[in-house]
Amino acid sequence: MLISTQTDTMAAPEKSDATGGTYATTTEAESGGLPQFDTSVWAGQIVYLLFLFFVLYLLIAKVFAPRLRRVMDERATTISTAVATARSVQAEAATQAAAAKAEVEQARADSRRMAAEAKARVAAEAEARRQAEEAEVNARIEAAEAQIAVTRDAAMTNVSTIAADTAQAIVQRLTGKPATAAEAAAAVKGAV
Amino acid sequence: MADPIEQFEVHPIPGLEFGEVAVPFLGVQQIAVTNSHVAMTIAFALVVLFLTAVTSGAKVVPGRLQSAGETLFSMIDGVTDSIIGHEGRKYFPFVFTLFTLILGMNILGMFLTFTATSQLAVTITFAVLTILLVIGIGILKHGLGFFLLFWPSSAPLVLRPVVGAIEFLSFLLRPVTLALRLFGNMLGGHVALKIFAGFVVSLGAMAFAGEGLGLWALPIAALSMTMVVALTALEFLVAFLQAFVFAVLATIYLNDVVNLGHGH
Repeated sequence: MLISTQTDTMAAPEKSDATGGTYATTTEAESGGLPQFDTSVWAGQIVYLLFLFFVLYLLIAKVFAPRLRRVMDERATTISTAVATARSVQAEAATQAAAAKAEVEQARADSRRMAAEAKARVAAEAEARRQAEEAEVNARIEAAEAQIAVTRDAAMTNVSTIAADTAQAIVQRLTGKPATAAEAAAAVKGAV
Repeated sequence: MADPIEQFEVHPIPGLEFGEVAVPFLGVQQIAVTNSHVAMTIAFALVVLFLTAVTSGAKVVPGRLQSAGETLFSMIDGVTDSIIGHEGRKYFPFVFTLFTLILGMNILGMFLTFTATSQLAVTITFAVLTILLVIGIGILKHGLGFFLLFWPSSAPLVLRPVVGAIEFLSFLLRPVTLALRLFGNMLGGHVALKIFAGFVVSLGAMAFAGEGLGLWALPIAALSMTMVVALTALEFLVAFLQAFVFAVLATIYLNDVVNLGHGH
């Protein structure tokens, strides 16, 4: 393999400088060709990684996870209470809407009834007033008719008087001699 | 062409070498602050900074940063909760630490020349730590009953020892697969990136020098460049996905011992 020989030639001098007598171990370890199989650098990485892991574990277990869990629990309770509140408000609104609807129905029925009553009352009043007025008008008509009859009768009597007077005057003018009232009246009576 | 393997070399920061010490199993060890330590420290610091920024001013109505943090948080919370159940919260910090630290190192590898999670030592540490925790919790909770994990009570009696042996073997392989999956993904992705990026440079140089393929090298260089862009996008996805996969698998293994006998 080109790659592995290259690695070996690159790594070998450095290793032999650094590790001196233990060169044999490292070459054996590197026989796979990958630097990862060089176990001479393992212990340092393992110990350090365990240390980092332990520290991060403590931080997460004691600080980060509780903090986030608290916030998420808080959020969950906030949401559930909000939903519950919304639900109760909705139920309340529904009952109120039902009540309002019933009220409106009631009011509508009331107003309908009142309107009917008022209409009936007004109609009755109007009828009564009409009848009263009619009666009054009738009475006045009758009175007026009676008056007219009286006046006519009076006028009719006057007519014969006026006719007699007129006849007397005409006779006097024509004949030069006055006619008596009785003659004139008799003559008028016969004419009228 | 640049060596695509060079990026995985761990070398001490000049002036921060403190000699060597012999350790059992691993042989002689360098004591030094290396580029791997630097990468791990930066990743760690970024994770802490991010989580501090997310949680310090945490509000009921989250801002953008808090939303991002909470998304990661609830994602892992959902994993531990759905897999382990009501006891999941107890194991959440461990899984979340695994996830954020691996994710931090993976993502940082996209910006630095060194990727901590492409180091076998690092992935083995994560894997062994996880499996040791699994064994520890198993023995602490169930005592010797922990070994019931390998006893398939639903299998026919004759087959139980055989299946049990297979179960045991697969349990032993868990840390290996955990470590190698992350290691292999990071290694392969960065090698591929480096190789295609190397093509762009060397083919471009060839075209301008008029050697070899001459100007015909340019379209190939352009194609390689396209590959680099596409692979970079893919690697960001892989960086996230591998951290998530590691966290999910760790949770599944934890669940095996936490709910021993319930989930089988």
